Amino acid sequence: MEKTLIIQRYNPEQDQAPSAKRYQVPFDHSTSVLDALLYIQQQLDPTLAFRWSCRMAICGSCGVMVNKIPKLGCKTFLRDYPAELTISALDHFPIEKDLISDMAVFLDHLQAVKPYLINDSNSAEPHRQTPAQLKKYQKFSSCINCGLCYAACPQFGLNPEFLGPAAIVTAQRYNLDSRDQGKAQRMPQLNGKNGVWACTFVGFCADVCPKQLDPAAAVNQGKVASATDMLISIFKP
Amino acid sequence: MPDSAGARRPYLQPLSRSWWLKHSFFLRYMLREATVLPLLFFCGCLLAGLYSLAQGESQYQSWLAFMAQPWVIALNTLLLLASLYHAKTFFELFPRVMPLLPAPLMIAGQWLGTLVVALLLLWLFGAIG
Repeated sequence: MEKTLIIQRYNPEQDQAPSAKRYQVPFDHSTSVLDALLYIQQQLDPTLAFRWSCRMAICGSCGVMVNKIPKLGCKTFLRDYPAELTISALDHFPIEKDLISDMAVFLDHLQAVKPYLINDSNSAEPHRQTPAQLKKYQKFSSCINCGLCYAACPQFGLNPEFLGPAAIVTAQRYNLDSRDQGKAQRMPQLNGKNGVWACTFVGFCADVCPKQLDPAAAVNQGKVASATDMLISIFKP
Repeated sequence: MPDSAGARRPYLQPLSRSWWLKHSFFLRYMLREATVLPLLFFCGCLLAGLYSLAQGESQYQSWLAFMAQPWVIALNTLLLLASLYHAKTFFELFPRVMPLLPAPLMIAGQWLGTLVVALLLLWLFGAIG
């Protein structure tokens, strides 16, 4: 059994714009899109460039558009598609080569929200946390930084300065952590015009998230946090 | 040593004006946002009604006649459907923004609230009871 993969190719040394190339790939019940790309690279065309690492939906490297929907290559199976499927680099990011995107904008946004525990106490004691405190942020802690939500977000496509779903989810994840004291440092980013308020709740990010962590909910809960923060800052001397 | 940065020539993907036609998810989103358009017409109608009421009885009667025209009724029916669709999407998004209770309970509660307010208004204006 074979399926046709129509792959967007772009060679920065030769091409002005990406163009499509067709490949016939054998498949069975367990063939993922990543397996198919590896087959093409190893058997048909060694020049095909794409990122991958873990093959098990935890490294977040193999994000591509499959039939115009952002997907992880390793978690998407040829069996679920008709005889032809189109694969291209993630939307809204510059294409470095073939299926490889330049994720620098996303990484800058992620860095801007200080995605780590900020705690000034110098105590050598461990920071204890109750199960109830863990539950507050746990649902937002499984982001693998694959960038699929950015490829799904038209607001990020229109305005690349928008912090975007994953960065805001991660900011929320640390703001809601009882061990963290960095909320005051993160709120200016979230409150700004490229923060939570740039989101119009399209909600597609939640559909494409391979970890089902509902970035759209996190962003819009961030609006509640942002509004509360503003009210408090008005009344605080 | 070759200049590796100089060899880079990333292709910037253009975002076309028709991005929202790309698949059904974006179409449904744009439909949700477009429900404001018939609402504008309704607000215009209401304002015109208030204005004509202040102008006197004959003005008000002609406004009533305008509102009874088939195309106005058709537009307002469209508006009602659009508002109900917007309410549906809003009620489904609300529990995700403020997860106070299990989502199905919050959605049912909001529809119940809508029904109660609608019945109250119908009773107030003498359409029922």
